[in-house]
Amino acid sequence: MRPYQVATAAIFVLIAAVAMFDTRSGALPTSAAGVPGGLRGGWYPFWSAAVIALAGIAVAVRSLRSPQADEGVFKDRSAVGDVARFILPMALAAYLMSDKLMGFYLASGTYIAYYAGVVARYRWYWAALAGIVIPVVIYLVFEVGFKAFLPKSVFYPTAPF
Amino acid sequence: MDVLASLAGGFATALEAQNILFLLAGCLLGLIIGVLPGLGGTSGVAILLPISVYIASANSPTTAIIFLAGIYWGALFGGVVTSILFNIPGEPWAVALLFDGYPLAKRKGKPGVALSSSFLASWVGAFFATILLTFLAKELADVALHFGPAELFAVFFLSFATLIGLGAESPLKAVMMVAFGLLLAAIGFDSITGEPRLAFGQIGLLSGIGFVPVTIGLFGIGEIIASADEAGIGYVEKIAARVGLKDVLETLAALRTRIWLVIANGVIGFFFGSLPGHGATAGSFLGYGLARQWSRNKQDFGKGEISGIMAPQAAADASAVGSLVPMLALGVPGSPTSAVMMAGLFIWGLQPGPLLFIEHPDFVWGLMASIYLGHFFTFLICLTAVPLLALIMRAPHGILTPFIVVISVIGAYSLNNEMKDVAITIVFGIIGYWLRKMKYPLAPLVVALVLGDSTERELRKALIGSQGEWSIFVTSPISAALIGLGIVLLAIPLLGRLRRRAAGAGISPGAAA
Repeated sequence: MRPYQVATAAIFVLIAAVAMFDTRSGALPTSAAGVPGGLRGGWYPFWSAAVIALAGIAVAVRSLRSPQADEGVFKDRSAVGDVARFILPMALAAYLMSDKLMGFYLASGTYIAYYAGVVARYRWYWAALAGIVIPVVIYLVFEVGFKAFLPKSVFYPTAPF
Repeated sequence: MDVLASLAGGFATALEAQNILFLLAGCLLGLIIGVLPGLGGTSGVAILLPISVYIASANSPTTAIIFLAGIYWGALFGGVVTSILFNIPGEPWAVALLFDGYPLAKRKGKPGVALSSSFLASWVGAFFATILLTFLAKELADVALHFGPAELFAVFFLSFATLIGLGAESPLKAVMMVAFGLLLAAIGFDSITGEPRLAFGQIGLLSGIGFVPVTIGLFGIGEIIASADEAGIGYVEKIAARVGLKDVLETLAALRTRIWLVIANGVIGFFFGSLPGHGATAGSFLGYGLARQWSRNKQDFGKGEISGIMAPQAAADASAVGSLVPMLALGVPGSPTSAVMMAGLFIWGLQPGPLLFIEHPDFVWGLMASIYLGHFFTFLICLTAVPLLALIMRAPHGILTPFIVVISVIGAYSLNNEMKDVAITIVFGIIGYWLRKMKYPLAPLVVALVLGDSTERELRKALIGSQGEWSIFVTSPISAALIGLGIVLLAIPLLGRLRRRAAGAGISPGAAA
């Protein structure tokens, strides 16, 4: 657990360092004319980042000095695979939902059918039915009912989705 | 006595058949809209505003405002459902419900109690807020006008101070999360000087990072990734969906021991709502923080403590009622939803503001009476619908898991109709999953992100007003008192830690930092 705790804190310190570097010109209050309230735009994010950096260093030091739990971050190797098998299709579906690609309805239908059929091992026709019915219901509620429009596919306007 | 007589007249108006009918229709529509991801009170009122024009011309503007107000109350109640059952907030003020609502529904297997607690607290909080609205609307509007930037900044500081305690196991990590939330909120154009900040040349970042996609990612997506890790892919923890009279009775018993907490939060929420532009969100977070600070069972917060549901929900609903104060008394919207309602008033030919009380007493008092009735009706509808709502969680995991992902995407996208927000949701889902594993508290991050922009704006407005003099925060008695209280609250966990260290108590592994 310890290396992961230290690495997580180090990533936060790194993020803070980048933010402080980007906003360094406004770090200190000034009495210069034309600066409302004596604070430039960078003041607030600079000091927020400084707090992250200080707290991050303290967290890392404490993690090194305090007793840590024996167990690893993941239960076993299969847990890593499960997380990856969940995240990757989800991220791919979200990417394909763009209106320049499959659009929301086609991508969400495919994702639901994939999940029900491949992951949950439903019979193919139930998986296909879920992949069709849910996007249709969403279409009727959002597009028809509330005029809230979601991204369409490259087939739009030839097809309604 | 004048007030009571006017209120009686208002009830006579509100109880007319067509007004009751439109109130019920509004409450039902609002409830449905509130449950849907990406839609809330503001969008619901905006979508149905054109219909209100027909209602106003066919009946009266009073019927139209009663209809719109019904949508508002219905959406407030409906917005809690996705928070409690899916860990996805429908509205910003419903974020505070994630902390204990979902754990009560999930870990303790009591979705009915979680939902009933929230509905009951909404009703009680709103009831007391409506009494305050009835008797103090005009006076409170005057007080709210005296809350300047320094006082508002002090209120936000107090909100953060109360919430640092949420990371009682690891206050340093809580401080880190607050600062990270403030940093994320600062991305994009500076609202005072217009300078771009932390955009690194990316045009998409100039508009900033919205708290809705981040929150949906951290809590909604992050939770199901954690489930995939802990229990295997495709697993979503089953929630027993049996809800009966027993759950309602348990909720009533829980309310009996928390009635003062709920009333206090109703009063606090009402006052927050009456501050123009500062509505339910800050009130609900402060309500949660105060409930935790006052509780003898601080360790139960975040694990399904009913006070953690009732307090923020009472404050949020009372804030919504309070947001009508500036609209009715000053002609200034108290919240985005009341701003849309105000647009309705203009369309119907009414001028919001103090003259409403004199020129259109039927309208004002009819609206006030409808608030009492609307909340009661919505409460009854919700209570009846609890078993149906909780049944959602009985859907098979193979459908429920991708469905949660899909509604999370809708919630994120419909904010600005931008795929950027969908990407943010997915990225913060992964970040939230990892932070949870590393025992970082997520609540302070979300609170700081939600309030970060307002905090910076009020801080800098105060300094602009005082020409850079920081003493403005201590020369104002209200500001000094609130900041002093915040410092005391911040010191409590530190003093506790020192006391434990002095007593030689051990620190739990992993949470030590």
